[in-house]
Amino acid sequence: MSTKHAKAAQRFISNREQEQWHNETLWFVRQKRDNMTMRIPEWEKLRDLAAKIKTHTIDDLIHYLETFSEAAESNGAIVHWAKDAQEHNEIVYGILKQHQVKKLVKSKSMLTEECLLNPYLIERGIEVVESDLGERILQLMGEHPSHIVMPAIHKKREEVGKLFEEKMDSEKGNSDPTYLTHTARKYLRNEFLTADAAMTGANFGIAQTGEVVVCTNEGNADMGTSLSKLHIVSMGIEKIIPDLASLSVFVRLLARSATGQPSTTYTSHYRRPIEGGEMHIVIVDNGRSSIQNTTGRDQILRCIRCGACMNTCPVYRRSGGYSYTYFIPGPIGINLGMLKSPKQHSDNLSACSLCFSCNNVCPAKIDLAGQIYRWRQQLDSFHKASTSKKLISQGMTFIFNRPDLYRVLLKMAPLINRLPRFLVYNRLNAWGYGRELPRFANESFNSMWRKGKIQKDNQ
Amino acid sequence: MKIGLFVPCYVNAIYPDVGIATYKLLNYFGLDVHYPVEQTCCGQPMANAGFENKAFGLAMKFEKTFKKYDYIVAPSASCTAFVRYNYLSIMTDEYIPDANEKIYDVCEFIHDFVKPAKLPGRFPHKVSVHNSCHGVRELELSSASELNIVRYSKIKNLLSLVEGVEIFEPAKVDECCGFGGMFAVEESAVSVCMGEDKINNHVATGAEYITGADSSCLMHLQGIVARKKLPVKFIHIVQILASGL
Amino acid sequence: MSSKQDIIKNLHRSSKLIFPMPEITVEAVKFDDPVAGFLEISRFVGGDAVVLNEGDDINALIRSLYPDAEKIASNLPEITIASFNPDETDDPHNLNGVELAIVKGELGVAENGCVWIPQNVRQKALYFISENLVIILDKNKIVNNMHEAYEYVAGNGDYGFGVFISGPSKTADIEQALVIGAHGAKSVRVIIGNLS
Repeated sequence: MSTKHAKAAQRFISNREQEQWHNETLWFVRQKRDNMTMRIPEWEKLRDLAAKIKTHTIDDLIHYLETFSEAAESNGAIVHWAKDAQEHNEIVYGILKQHQVKKLVKSKSMLTEECLLNPYLIERGIEVVESDLGERILQLMGEHPSHIVMPAIHKKREEVGKLFEEKMDSEKGNSDPTYLTHTARKYLRNEFLTADAAMTGANFGIAQTGEVVVCTNEGNADMGTSLSKLHIVSMGIEKIIPDLASLSVFVRLLARSATGQPSTTYTSHYRRPIEGGEMHIVIVDNGRSSIQNTTGRDQILRCIRCGACMNTCPVYRRSGGYSYTYFIPGPIGINLGMLKSPKQHSDNLSACSLCFSCNNVCPAKIDLAGQIYRWRQQLDSFHKASTSKKLISQGMTFIFNRPDLYRVLLKMAPLINRLPRFLVYNRLNAWGYGRELPRFANESFNSMWRKGKIQKDNQ
Repeated sequence: MKIGLFVPCYVNAIYPDVGIATYKLLNYFGLDVHYPVEQTCCGQPMANAGFENKAFGLAMKFEKTFKKYDYIVAPSASCTAFVRYNYLSIMTDEYIPDANEKIYDVCEFIHDFVKPAKLPGRFPHKVSVHNSCHGVRELELSSASELNIVRYSKIKNLLSLVEGVEIFEPAKVDECCGFGGMFAVEESAVSVCMGEDKINNHVATGAEYITGADSSCLMHLQGIVARKKLPVKFIHIVQILASGL
Repeated sequence: MSSKQDIIKNLHRSSKLIFPMPEITVEAVKFDDPVAGFLEISRFVGGDAVVLNEGDDINALIRSLYPDAEKIASNLPEITIASFNPDETDDPHNLNGVELAIVKGELGVAENGCVWIPQNVRQKALYFISENLVIILDKNKIVNNMHEAYEYVAGNGDYGFGVFISGPSKTADIEQALVIGAHGAKSVRVIIGNLS
């Protein structure tokens, strides 16, 4: 009955040392988040407001998209609309081609990952340089992020050291994070200075003012956009919020939830193009507008991509980002994957013990676990339900619908205690992986009650 | 006030003493408790696995079984949470359930309604409290570690009524133990890994017993402890509360 | 049909009752002494803030903080230790190699050490490309929290670009080890004085 996620997770855990490091490191980020949020007495009120503002904005998205694009255009930005990933990539390439761009420097954008923009541009002869340190490490390794905020969290310093020796001519055997980061700083500084265009994602689009807000710690979005004349923003339709007062709520939640910082180092507001330059905003749908609001699924659109649900998720911490089939892992990724393609990504639904911790850390109060529970209810209709799980459920239902049979089985259960080990502990018994079976009591509560033993003893 | 006692299937077969302790306690407080013998399962295992349609029949049966009671009390936070929060959506539009309105976990029932000032007996042992996910984050038996709210624990409040109990809590105080119903077998590697980590945190407190309001978590952890032959024992919280009865 | 119309049409299909916009009134954190709060949090975020007392010479203070800096950029007339005025540069690339930039901040935020800088130099690259950054801030312009900050930002003029900066550039992308100086300034110091 094991899913793709379960199998990949087992492989991840087989390196227990690495699993523990990953688990504890992300837990440490969760703790930093806790420390930071406990200093804000109004924290729960902020989460509540964030959920309400987003719910309102998503309900009235047509209005806010129109308002945003009008304001952005009057600021002098050029607004594009892309209904899917293909169109997004074509638009971006079209702009780059028109400006004869040879080198594009990018700051972190999960949307461009979603659209597979990099390979599209590289195939067409554009040099694409990821400038976020973690993203750059992965780009040089030919891999993709395993966490949306800490993309290279699964890499050890020695691996990065070796990579930099090869690609950045760093000192042999030096894997000190400070040394490596400063090596990358020098190397990427040159990339910033020689790039023809810069691309960023968007944390928020402010409808009232038409500006785009980007939050980074490294300053890479700003290095790119202040040295190039051409700035392209890639923004999902759900990133719109009404105004700066709304932004104050989200900005207070974002960094505290994401990394346990009171603020990101840079919160950059892009309203107008740079002197003599151009600013393009590509507004991307790619399936978002089709998300139905019937079973509360559209609440996933409230997500501000802080990654807090991953850091708290006991399953994500112990199975790593690559154990999920969708490019975004963890509780939010399970949900986004199902919204993208239930048939392709249903194997991730097993990666949840329904502990509900993700719900409690989510700054937009998304019912992530509840939505996973709801998706599980639909697996059978996609013919994706696990046969053995279905059989077990059917068997249990059959028994529990028949109190007399239930009573007989309760009576027989202790016999299992006496079965030879090889019959009980084998490959067919996933419980027996690392655990002993519970021992059935000699007499069940039901039987004792029927015989009046319990009542008599207590009169 | 008539109370229907619900003893979940696995408690019934594996931990009947937990059911007995629950009965004893409620009886001790002078409550009118009855165990309807036709009860079976609330439907949670099937629903969490993705088969709410199979849970539906059981939920209807559960409703019928407990119709005549004013309250339903169960020694299981998880089953209680399932009935309370899922029955409404499981039922068809024509039927409005009432089990969801009147079911209580035995700990919250005693803590919130009976409010005893003291319990008889002594339990002179060190215990580490297992804060189960559904107990904490659904029934709110204690303040969830993620939330910025006033800290409290109904479980610790109750335990402190018994003389001699020394209460501890593990690091990562309410992290999931990895049981999760069918999760335990479908994701057995992650489940066991979570369980081992949880046990290490409990054992590190120096406690002799791990106790909690959910036998399902304890069953999973006990399975690991038995495999590894670790020197820590398990006891449901009602068994400690009823130790003088 | 254009893609915009496609998207709008699709959104129409799923439109329903609109959840009302909540009133954004938050009883947010306040400081008895916002300046003291700002000083403390600035250190916490890896930066620093110093108070310029009455009669202190700001140029001497900055020089004492950066004794070896030679290539110093500032467009502020009172900054006499500047070696050049960055606004005279047409090409931001020329700013690479600036050791110290001295700029003015408009508003400080005590809850997170942010300083609001609506673009007040010709090349915004200066804020990021310089190895070290000094921000001069009026001590009467430190607010408690981001709600107050954005109220100010919304009510105080248009900007083509603006940025909140809280401490130096940093990253923890290698094994979560915090390293100061990723791409932007390696040190950020805020000088708080009575400028009004």
